Amino acid sequence: MATSLQEKQINALKRMLNFNQPPTKATNAEPQWKVLVYDRFGQDIISPLLTVKELRDFGVTLHVSLHSDRDPIPDVPAIYFVMPTDDNIQRICRDFQNQLYESYYLNFISAVSRQKLEDLANSAIQSNAVQQVAKVFDQNLNFISLENELFTLRHQARESISYYAINKGDVKDTEMEAIMDSIVDSLFSVFVTLSIVPIIRCPRGNAAEMVAEKLDKKLRENLRDARNSLFSSEGVPGQFNFQRPLLVILDRNLDLATMLHHTWTYQALGHDVLDLQLNRMEIEEVIDDGPTMNSPARKPRIKKKTYDLSSKDKIWMSQKGHPFPEVAEAVQEELNAYRQEEGEVKKLKAALGLEGEDDTAISMLSDNTARLTSAVTSLPELLEKKRQIDMHMNIATALLEQIKARKLDTYFETEEKMMSKAALNKSLMDIISDPEAGKPEDKVRLFIIALICGPPLTEAEIDQYCVALQAANCDISSIQYVRRWKSYTKLQAPSSQYAGGGISSTSMFSSLLSKGSQFVMEGVKNLVVKGHNLPTTRIVDALMELKSLPDADDFHYFDPKLLRADASSVPRNKSPFQEAYVFMVGGGNYIEFQNLIDYAKSKSAPGMQKRIVYGCSDLVNAAQFLNQLSQLGQEM
Amino acid sequence: MLARRRRNNSGSDRLQQQVLHSSLEQQWQSNSTISNPPTEVSLSRQDCLSPQRQEHLLIHPDMTCRDRSNEFLSVVKSLQSRQSNGVVANHKNRALHIRSEFTQIAKRIGKDLANTFAKLEKLTILAKRRALFDDKPVEIQELTYIIKQDINSLNEQIAQLQQLAKSQRAHYGKHQQTHSNTVVVALQSKLATMSNNFRQVLEVRTENLKHQKTRREQFSASAVTSTMPPSAYQGHMNGSVLLQDEASHIGNGEIAIDMSGSGKGNLQNQMQIIDEQDAYIQSRADTMQNIESTIVELGSIFQQLAHMVKEQEEIVGRIDHNVDDASQNIEAAHTEILKYFQSVTSNRWLMIKIFGVLMVFFIIFIVFMA
Repeated sequence: MATSLQEKQINALKRMLNFNQPPTKATNAEPQWKVLVYDRFGQDIISPLLTVKELRDFGVTLHVSLHSDRDPIPDVPAIYFVMPTDDNIQRICRDFQNQLYESYYLNFISAVSRQKLEDLANSAIQSNAVQQVAKVFDQNLNFISLENELFTLRHQARESISYYAINKGDVKDTEMEAIMDSIVDSLFSVFVTLSIVPIIRCPRGNAAEMVAEKLDKKLRENLRDARNSLFSSEGVPGQFNFQRPLLVILDRNLDLATMLHHTWTYQALGHDVLDLQLNRMEIEEVIDDGPTMNSPARKPRIKKKTYDLSSKDKIWMSQKGHPFPEVAEAVQEELNAYRQEEGEVKKLKAALGLEGEDDTAISMLSDNTARLTSAVTSLPELLEKKRQIDMHMNIATALLEQIKARKLDTYFETEEKMMSKAALNKSLMDIISDPEAGKPEDKVRLFIIALICGPPLTEAEIDQYCVALQAANCDISSIQYVRRWKSYTKLQAPSSQYAGGGISSTSMFSSLLSKGSQFVMEGVKNLVVKGHNLPTTRIVDALMELKSLPDADDFHYFDPKLLRADASSVPRNKSPFQEAYVFMVGGGNYIEFQNLIDYAKSKSAPGMQKRIVYGCSDLVNAAQFLNQLSQLGQEM
Repeated sequence: MLARRRRNNSGSDRLQQQVLHSSLEQQWQSNSTISNPPTEVSLSRQDCLSPQRQEHLLIHPDMTCRDRSNEFLSVVKSLQSRQSNGVVANHKNRALHIRSEFTQIAKRIGKDLANTFAKLEKLTILAKRRALFDDKPVEIQELTYIIKQDINSLNEQIAQLQQLAKSQRAHYGKHQQTHSNTVVVALQSKLATMSNNFRQVLEVRTENLKHQKTRREQFSASAVTSTMPPSAYQGHMNGSVLLQDEASHIGNGEIAIDMSGSGKGNLQNQMQIIDEQDAYIQSRADTMQNIESTIVELGSIFQQLAHMVKEQEEIVGRIDHNVDDASQNIEAAHTEILKYFQSVTSNRWLMIKIFGVLMVFFIIFIVFMA
C-alpha cells in the first residue's frame, strides 16, 4: 500500500487513466488509446506527477486543454480531468453537441454538485449523447503534491487565495467565504486521498480558525453519512487511535519574517532567486552573439532553459536541503565520480584493441564481450547521470552568479544574526546605504526582518531608515503595512520566537579549492547553518509532543470523529503524535518546509518514525510576498 | 482464445500476414499439445490471462474517488421522463457506430502484441531453466521461430498502418493526425521493447547452452570413452552395479539369454552412444547457430525500430511545457511587433517631414511664380 500523499495521488491518477479500473501490468495488457482533456487545474496537478512518456505508456495519445480548439476524433474515448466550474461544464456540453469523441469519461477534481450534474444530463439528452457518457467520477484530488512531504493547493490562479486576498482591507464576507471554501475543499481532498481523519489544532481568532471549523464540519458530515463515507476503507478500530495524525492549521500572520528571509539551502535558494515552479526550474541564459559593439541597441538574447527536478534525481533528493556551498561540493564530487566511470569505459574500449568494432575480434575475447555488454548497458545510465550533473552545474552556477551579484551571503548572515539576537558586524544602515549590495527589494526585506525581530526601534529611527531606503530606490509601502501589522498583533517577546539559531562562517577555501572546484567561490562566505527552529516548527513541536508553549496553549482542538462537536479545547489524546500535517493559510515557502523536515528527521528514532507533511495554500517566494505586502500597504 | 480472436476478426478484411500469423499460432498450439509435457505449457498460458480477469473483479481497497455514474444516469432518466412524457424511444444507439479502418487495425495489432508478449514470457521461463536434463530444445526452437515470425509480421503491419495513416492524413484534422501518429509510435516502441526483450532472452539461452556444454564436458564420460580402449569401457559397463540394476529392471529374462553376446552388444551400445552424442552435439551446434542468426536479425529489426522511434522524437516533457513555449513565443512575437511598430512610426515621421518640405516648396512655388 502506498504510503505517501504523492504516491497515493499518482495511484489515483493512474486508476483514472485506466478508465477507473485498478491498473494492471502494463506490458501485457493490450493498449487502449485515449485522449486526455484537462483544464488548468488538472494540468497543474498532473504535470509534476506524470511525464508525457508515462502518459503514453497508459495509452494517452493526445493531451489537450479543455478550452483550446479541439478537432473531433470520432473513434477514441476521452478522459476529462477538470474542475466542476460552470465554464468547464458548458464547454463539456458543447463537446457533447459537437460529438468530438467516441465516449466520455468525466472525472471531476472535486465533488460536482447535483445542479451541475443535471445541467450535464440535460445537454447530454439534447445532443443525444447519453450513451456516450460512460462514467462520471468525483476524484477528490484538488491539490498539487510536489514532493512526498509537500503539497500546495493552487498554482495558476493562486492570487485568489493568497495572503493578499485574505488580509485585504476591503474584503467582503462573501469573498472570504469563497476563499475559505476553496481551501477547505482542497484540504478535504487531501485527507480523502489519504483516507484518514486527522485531529485538528489551530490558533484562535484568524483565518486558520475559520478553515479548521469548516473542515471539521465537512469531515463530520462525511463521516456521519456512513453509506457514502469516503473514509470507510480504514479498517480495524483501535488502530487509528494511535496512528491518527495531527493537522496543524496555521495562519501566515504568525510569522512574516520567514517569508522574507534570505536563505542558504539549495532548494529554497532556487525558489527565492531563480524561478522554481511546480518542481521545474527556469534559468535565463544570456547568449552573446559574439561582438555586438556595432549594434548597441540590440539586446542580448535571453534564452530560457527549464530543468525538471523530479524525485528520481538522486543529487537533488540528497542535496536540496543542504546549504549551498555543500551542494556545490557534492556536485563537484559527482562530477569526479562520473569522470572516473567514463574513463573506465574508455579504458575498456582501448583494451579491446585497435580493431574496436570488428565483430570477429570481439567474439574472440569472450570474456571481454560480457564486459562490453555491461558497459553498453551502463551507457544510458551514464548519459542520464551526465545530464543530471550538467543540470545541477548550470543551476548552481546561476545561483552563484545571483549570490555574488546581490551579496546574498551578507544578507543571510545579518538576518540570521538578527533573528538570533547576536551582535551585528555591520550596521544596518551600512548595508542599506551600500549601493553595491543587492536589489532594492533585498534591502526592504532586510529592514522588515529587522523591524520584526531586531531590537525595538523608535519612530524617529524608523523614519530615518525609511528615508535611507527611499534614497536607495526602495518601495516602502510594504514597510507601512508591516508597521501596522506589528502594532495590531500582540507580538510575543521575539527573543523566544527565533531562539536557538546561529551560524558560523568557516574558511571557504579549505575544502573547495583542494578538490579543484570549478566554482569560483571567492567573495562568498561559506556559511554553515546550525540547527535552528522557526516559529512554525516550534509550535508543531509543542503540539506533537504535547509540550506546553505559551503560543500554542490556547489552540482549538477539533476531533471530527467525536459525535458531539464540543468547542472545549482540551486535548484528549495523551500520547505524542507520530505524524503531523502542517497547513499554512496564506502562503508558505521552502524555508519553512525544509525546517520542518529537518525537525522531523532529528526527532525520529529508529523505532519511532516521525513524519511531517507541509502544505500551504500557495507557494510564494519572497519577491512575490513582498509584492503582496506593498499592495496591502498601498491600500492602507 | 483462438476462437475469440477469429470472432473479432471475422467482420474485417484480414491482411495476409494476419492469416499467416494465426495459422502459425494454430500450429504452435497443436505443437504445444503434442509435445512431451503439454500440461505445463498450456497451464502457464492460462495463468497469464487469469490474474488480469481476477483483478478486474477485485475492488480496490483504497478507493478515494466516488462513482457518480449511476446518479448521472438516474438524473438523465428523470429528465427524460419529464421532458418527453414517457417517450423514451428517442435515443438511437450510437455506441454501435462503425470505427474507422485505422482504429480497427491498430486495435488488432495491439492485441497481437499482447499475445506475442505472453508467448515471450513463456519462452523466458523455458529459457531461464538451467537444469541439465529438463531441457526442451524443440519447444524453445518452436517458440523462438513463432515469435520471430510474429515480430516480423507485426513490423510489417505497423509499417502498413503508418502508410494508412499517411494516406488518410488529408481527410482529418490536426488532432486526429497527432493521435494516429502517436498510436503508431506507441506500437513501434512497444514492438521495440519486445524485440529487445526477445534478444535478451535469446542471449540468456545461448549463455545457458554454453554453460550446459561445459558442465557436460566436466561430468560426462564422453571424452574418456573416446580415448580409452573399448575393453576398459566394457569393464566399466559390466562393473557398474547401477547399470546392471537398471538392466535387470528393464527385463529380467532377456539379460540371462543375452549374456553370451554381451561383448558385441556392448560395443554396439557404445557406438550408438557415440553416434548419439555426435548427433546431439551437432543439434546443439545447429541450435546455437540458429539462435545467433536470430539475434543478428533481431538486432537489425531493433535498430530499424529504434531509428523510427527516434525519428518520431519521443518527448519526455511535461504537459505544461507547450504552454510555456507558447507564452514565450507570444512574448517574442510581441517584441517583434513593437519593433515593427517603431520602425513604422519612424517612417511616418520621415513621410511627414518630406511632405512638409514638399508643401513648403509648393507654397513658395505658388507664391513666387503666380
